[in-house]
Amino acid sequence: MRKEKTTTIYLGPQHPGITGNMMVKLEIQGDTIMHAETHIGYLHRGFEKLMERRNWLQSFTIVCRICVPEPDPNEENYARGVEEIEGREVPEKARWIRMLVLELSRIQAYLLWYGGQSGSAGLYTIGQWSVGDRNYVLDLLEDLTGGRVYHMYIWPGGVRRDLPKGFRKKVAKVMNYLEKRLDDYDRVMFDNAIFQKRTQGIGYIPPEKAIEWGVVGPPLRATGIKSDVRIDDPYEFYDQVEFEVPDMYKTSDVWARALVRRFEIRQSINIIRQILDKMPENGPVWNKIPNPHKWRIPRGEAYVKTESARGEFGYYVVSDGTEFPRRIHVRGPAYVHGITLLEKILVGQNIADVSVIMNSLGTCPPEMER
Amino acid sequence: MEDLLYENQVIKELQANFLEDIIDAIVQRKKRVIFKVKNNKIESILLFLKEKMGFLHLSHISCVDWIEENRFELIYILWHPQEKINVFVKIDVDRLKPVAPNIDYIWEHANTYERELREMYGIEFKGLVGRQELILEDWDGMPPMRRDFDTLQYVMENYTFRSGREDAQDVRETIANRTGEEIPEFAKKYSR
Repeated sequence: MRKEKTTTIYLGPQHPGITGNMMVKLEIQGDTIMHAETHIGYLHRGFEKLMERRNWLQSFTIVCRICVPEPDPNEENYARGVEEIEGREVPEKARWIRMLVLELSRIQAYLLWYGGQSGSAGLYTIGQWSVGDRNYVLDLLEDLTGGRVYHMYIWPGGVRRDLPKGFRKKVAKVMNYLEKRLDDYDRVMFDNAIFQKRTQGIGYIPPEKAIEWGVVGPPLRATGIKSDVRIDDPYEFYDQVEFEVPDMYKTSDVWARALVRRFEIRQSINIIRQILDKMPENGPVWNKIPNPHKWRIPRGEAYVKTESARGEFGYYVVSDGTEFPRRIHVRGPAYVHGITLLEKILVGQNIADVSVIMNSLGTCPPEMER
Repeated sequence: MEDLLYENQVIKELQANFLEDIIDAIVQRKKRVIFKVKNNKIESILLFLKEKMGFLHLSHISCVDWIEENRFELIYILWHPQEKINVFVKIDVDRLKPVAPNIDYIWEHANTYERELREMYGIEFKGLVGRQELILEDWDGMPPMRRDFDTLQYVMENYTFRSGREDAQDVRETIANRTGEEIPEFAKKYSR
């Protein structure tokens, strides 16, 4: 084989493609990528180490900061992990509220993704719309939890407070609005020839290898494999609501991943409506924990997972019987997607498509480094 | 009574093939099975689980530092896409001479986990090639995720507090000094 000269360029650590800092070292020939290498280390905050020196309640305020665009799966995972080891019961209403928060969080994460994905393909209008619409969802979360981005709301034993007055009506109103808006997005994004050309046939993941390569979430469903933690390993009350998991998109490229997300955001709206119907009016929302300074969790371990907007989000929680966690290890979907998978599927692609592919995989550096 | 049919079948099948290498096997709950196995057999067991039993997806590799028992515990968490079951396979690694086998030929993304554990815990994965650093850069001290690594001491030794801000550590006192106010008696116990 003739050895051709390659040029090395560095994409990042600061670039508009993703939330957070991450660098991809690219070896290119012309504008084709011959080799890619992900470098992380710009965002390491040492949360896992910090949590070993904080008590179980103090750690709860840290976990949501692990993933910026979508903090709620972290909170829910942590809370459920602690509850599973301790054997603590969660009131019924609290579990419904948790589902409501998780689905609102999924919708806002997908709306942010709409902006990122279309922006990386050169369509900036959609990002302005979707981030604007995302604010309505953030308003709801602010109403409920007090925070827009980091909520610190789902904690061991339940949730921190009950729904405010008139909250259900507000949620229903925003859902009706979003449902109408999604048709507009379809017209400007999915019907757009530029977007189709920029995404079809790009960033192919071979379906027969996908599971083995550790692909989860929308990229896995875009290969035609039906896989969703909400159905495979149900948590909270996901076995009591009805929703569809898309397996009809099989092309396994950026386009199919976009269609999967487009489908799922509608499913989330549907789930939220069911939650509002099924959630009991009254009842406790927190099973009170003892004095946090003396709150000892019995020795044990748990691996809990949630279906986040990017895929399986797992927490491995270990307790040694003291007031402090022995180990909390976070498994974010981007840890696999952003490093080994990205390095593999970038080869042979055009350099202009790097951020399109990155966005379609849901690369999120804050959760890679924790 | 919960139906734990496949959970028990996994244990049975693994015991049929690796009876002497399995130290402990329990069903933690529905969809969770925990195995503790011998250190030197981990590769064969993981390969068996993947190729013969269909645990195709490696979810996670984690490490817990049990310093008082002088061991690291490595946990491999696998997922069966058809039967929807998570299996934990655990091994013990000597804390003084931490060596574990490399499994990135079974799952390629294990490579990232191993690189992280190598620099965070100092575990040597036999046969692991590739870039040295993942998160830390030019780190030659004690691996920072070990239990005996003192974060506070490290900060005190390596960083200095920005000068000119010594008085800003307690806002209440600073404001009181500046304006000549008196701190009420009940609030004094909170002042440093």
